[in-house]
Amino acid sequence: MSIFLRRSLRSRLLSSNNFKLFLTNYFDSSQTINHRRHFSDNLFHSVCFRSTSLLTENRCYGYGYSHRQHHQSTCRRFFASEAAATAAQRSTSDGLTVEGILANNWNILDDNESDWKSHASAVAQSIHLIKRRLQWKKLKVRLDMLSVQLNKADLWDDPVHAGNISREHGTLMGKVKEVNALEQELLEHIDMIKLARDENDSELESESLKALRDMRKNAKEKELEALLAGEQDSCSCFIEVQAGAGGTESMDWAAMVMQMYKSWAHRRGYNVTVIDEMPGEIAGIKRATIKVDGEFAFGYAKAEVGVHRLVRISPFDSNKRRHTSFAAVAVIPILGDGSSRVQINESDLRIERFRSGGPGGQHANTTESAIRIIHIPTGITATCQNERSQHQNKASAMAVLKSRLDQLEMARQAQLNSQHTQSLTDITWGSQIRSYVLHPYRMVKDLRTNYEVSDPDSVLEGDIDGFILSYLSATLDKEDSDA
Amino acid sequence: MKLALSTVYCPHRFSNLFRPSVFTALWSPICSSELSSYSPTYVKPQFHVPLFLRPPIYSAKLCDLRKWRDWAEGVASSIGSSFVQSDNGPDSSILCRELKWLIEDVVEDHSQFPQTGLENGDDDDMRVKMRANLEELYGLWKQRITERRPFQYIVGCEHWRDLVLSVQEGVLIPRPETELIVDFVCDVVSNNEDLKRGMWADLGTGSGAIAIGIGRVLENAGRVIATDLSPVAVSVAGYNVQRYCLKEKIEIKEGSWFEPLKDMEGRLAGLVSNPPYIPSKDISGLQAEVGRHEPRVALDGGIDGMDALFHLCDGAALFLKPGGFFAFETNGEQQCRTLVEYMENNRGGSLHNFEIRSDFAGIQRFVIGFHK
Repeated sequence: MSIFLRRSLRSRLLSSNNFKLFLTNYFDSSQTINHRRHFSDNLFHSVCFRSTSLLTENRCYGYGYSHRQHHQSTCRRFFASEAAATAAQRSTSDGLTVEGILANNWNILDDNESDWKSHASAVAQSIHLIKRRLQWKKLKVRLDMLSVQLNKADLWDDPVHAGNISREHGTLMGKVKEVNALEQELLEHIDMIKLARDENDSELESESLKALRDMRKNAKEKELEALLAGEQDSCSCFIEVQAGAGGTESMDWAAMVMQMYKSWAHRRGYNVTVIDEMPGEIAGIKRATIKVDGEFAFGYAKAEVGVHRLVRISPFDSNKRRHTSFAAVAVIPILGDGSSRVQINESDLRIERFRSGGPGGQHANTTESAIRIIHIPTGITATCQNERSQHQNKASAMAVLKSRLDQLEMARQAQLNSQHTQSLTDITWGSQIRSYVLHPYRMVKDLRTNYEVSDPDSVLEGDIDGFILSYLSATLDKEDSDA
Repeated sequence: MKLALSTVYCPHRFSNLFRPSVFTALWSPICSSELSSYSPTYVKPQFHVPLFLRPPIYSAKLCDLRKWRDWAEGVASSIGSSFVQSDNGPDSSILCRELKWLIEDVVEDHSQFPQTGLENGDDDDMRVKMRANLEELYGLWKQRITERRPFQYIVGCEHWRDLVLSVQEGVLIPRPETELIVDFVCDVVSNNEDLKRGMWADLGTGSGAIAIGIGRVLENAGRVIATDLSPVAVSVAGYNVQRYCLKEKIEIKEGSWFEPLKDMEGRLAGLVSNPPYIPSKDISGLQAEVGRHEPRVALDGGIDGMDALFHLCDGAALFLKPGGFFAFETNGEQQCRTLVEYMENNRGGSLHNFEIRSDFAGIQRFVIGFHK
């Protein structure tokens, strides 16, 4: 029986057919004895309940996504039951919950120790951290709110809004399901171990213990993923760097910062395109925009928003004095086609080409075809000059403009707390986030997290993941534990 | 004088360089098989393959390539703004960007050198595969600076809209301003199925830029006839049409303006042109890249620069069908006004709805209108 149970549980009884098969097999089994029956009744209840809740969610997804418009009424019913289902407290057959495991404060030993309590406790702590990073309570409130909105009969009168709602609902629901699945898996492994002990089945026990240990590793990885759970985190992004006051020295610094991001993106395997670059007269850049293409580019890069400060002996100062320069960094997510927040009217745009003077047309041979697009109602502009044709410059500038307008709209719509980055113009020169000191000592220190590194060269060569991760975990973990 | 494309256009001279296998790997959106299966008959104008399409049969040490780059950058920097002051030519920063593009075109696998250009490779002795040898590169950059040979002739191509068009001496380099003519046509055909399926003409097509741009926005039934007086232009345009697989849609004919369209009176859905419009007296003062290197026949529009434009207006009245659309590029505000005035006074019976449109630099550049 135990072998059979193992299999069924491992497949998590996701379909009712499996479940029926399980019951039939189980009750047909001639080996049934009393204490097992007692255990199985308990198990039966919890399994039965779990599988129904999963089924409900599954079905709800099926309808919710493929036939949104036509099955609103069907959906409503499922959404209602889903709230009840996800709120249910999971527990093992003898009533142990994930919170219970945490409260027990079991010693967490090394990975290699074969103590199930230690593994269980470690996993429970990971789950706890993940929930905190996901801002679990807020997330659940938001999810309930979205479910209510999805149930409204007039939802699809505004398809763009409806699309956004249902997309966000889907994303959040996915996260909830993932965490629920983790909890459930943990409890199942514990059940399994207890069962194995009752049965004196050492093979099952060691197998389950191993599964629990694997899960511990897996949950550790999920902790990291939870850092990048924001709605736009998976997007590509634009990174903009602007030199502060201070002439050539700070323009050189801006160029160094931009180079740091190019190298960082390169290390991460992201694709980098220079969109716009305004070079300084002698060295460096006044301002530049690059596009960083790849998954989670925005999620990581958003940690870099703010003012970066450099202290060094300036190579541009013949008196070899120490200078302090600043560069401001902004990061803008590039939303996918479907999720753009704004509709741009062609008539709201003014498109300009930098005029070199002269009559143009056949009179001029030029490889310079920079385009600036101005969105008249907001005054927001975007420039691109690095493409080889005017048409392509216009297309790139339009993409930047669109992302800027999206960003503006997102900020306006929700004031989505600190997770949203400011545009370059909003960044005050006071909001310093990091200090790079090359003289008199050598150190890079993040002023938000106090994370520091004593090798500025490696940082400037793009090794900034330490800063990014420490910042992301600090911001998410410091929020009141509402898991 | 009608010449079939296959007799004029002849890749014979470089067909031995381009075995089909090499060719297919070079440029994806293109009918390579059609190009290489072309049956050559005789060689007329000598055709130059754009640099970026040449086979990467050369190689150089990374350190030597860098040496050339540093030399070229130094030369470009020494120019400062002296060309700008003398004839509104390019400054150092534009020249340096051209240098970057030249390297992009000449190095086979440019993705080896992302962003930082050539600095990333650590191994100085690493060999880089190239489409021209270093000697040629020294020569080309010298031509760029000392002779002011246009960058587009150096690399043999011009990026125009989303196209990369082959260009060479004897063919006008398509201008960024002219891209807008294709946008006008897009707007017009977007709500007019009849024009979208009709017959269009691009007169004085040069590299074939406008014709190809339009060919890509018309529906399957739509056709474009592109004419040019110059055999070199006809051959280059034919090559570009081939590269974009538009042979079925675009017909190139050699001849002056409407001459090759003899039987098309009253049948054209649209007529577009970027004719020579620079007044003869201004030719001598042109920017060196233009005045010394581009074909005068594509620039000089007679005393007022209006000779070809008037001729096109007369032709528009005759060749366009009812409801047909036309768009012409001009020298600026004054020519636009003169042209509209001329049409109102002389062709008001058949043409109407004249409009003057500006380019992105804010200069009134185009006259558009319809046949009644």
